[in-house]
Amino acid sequence: MNTPLRLSPIDAALRSLQGHWGEVNGMPTLMHRPRAAHWPVGIADLSSLTRFGVKGANAAAWLSQQGIPVPQRPNTWRSLPPGGLVARLGLTEFLIEDGLSSNVAPQLAARCQTPPARVYPVLRQDLALALVGDRTQELLRQTCSVNFQAVDVSQHPVVLTSMIGVTVTIIPTEMAGQLVYRLWCDGTFGTYFWKTLIEMATELGGGAIGVEQVPFNTASERGV
Amino acid sequence: MKIMTCPINGPRPITEFAYGGEVRPMPDPNTVDDATWAAYIYNRNSIPGIKQEWWCHVPSNTWFIAERNTLTDEILRTYLYAEAQEGVA
Repeated sequence: MNTPLRLSPIDAALRSLQGHWGEVNGMPTLMHRPRAAHWPVGIADLSSLTRFGVKGANAAAWLSQQGIPVPQRPNTWRSLPPGGLVARLGLTEFLIEDGLSSNVAPQLAARCQTPPARVYPVLRQDLALALVGDRTQELLRQTCSVNFQAVDVSQHPVVLTSMIGVTVTIIPTEMAGQLVYRLWCDGTFGTYFWKTLIEMATELGGGAIGVEQVPFNTASERGV
Repeated sequence: MKIMTCPINGPRPITEFAYGGEVRPMPDPNTVDDATWAAYIYNRNSIPGIKQEWWCHVPSNTWFIAERNTLTDEILRTYLYAEAQEGVA
């Protein structure tokens, strides 16, 4: 058996789950779970997607030079043409995450080995999740003080807040006509965060799902 | 629930914020006398009233200034430090 290059922050918690496993970007990944197709709340671990963080007064200009479409307003995001997204976190920090089949983030990380002045790479070892299903907002209402019903998805918002005591970044978005919440938090909180959310999702009639059960549809939506 | 408005992230519960102390201009350490420097380091103004304070929205690490009435705990306005500097310039 090969030793994996990377492990999800919640690898130990996921391993006990029945399902079909695969490998994405060198990380063992839960791809599919039986009988989870139409759960009212499904939570998928997308930590295997590659990502890159950068901050600093010149970060926006540097990203533009690299051909990245930079969101102009703070706390908004844009799609990356090959798949994935770029999110502006506040004024001068950015998160770039690839889709299932793109590799923009590793290329940016390589080009940022010797960054110019006022450009600082940020290590991103997040727990990355996707929350899908009709009752996802009920789960969010129990865990977070932001009213996501009042958030306009068409404005491409990025919400930085705290959830069950953990600092999180949340992007509500539509994929294949379904509302999907992308969520990132520091990986060191991963096990607590995952177990708590899964406990609540189970009470709502859902649970853990695989990456393939997140409704990615077109190339531009992959990873978003 | 007590609400504070972050200039970047909008209205959020006060539990998402951390207090960073009153905004106090630092005297020039190269020219200041010892008594003034000691007062700056060790003394704080405890008289209640409208004060400018540093606050941080912790989830986004956004530092900003809040004008708060420390007698009534009423937050009058919040703004970024850069905006305050523009007003001075």
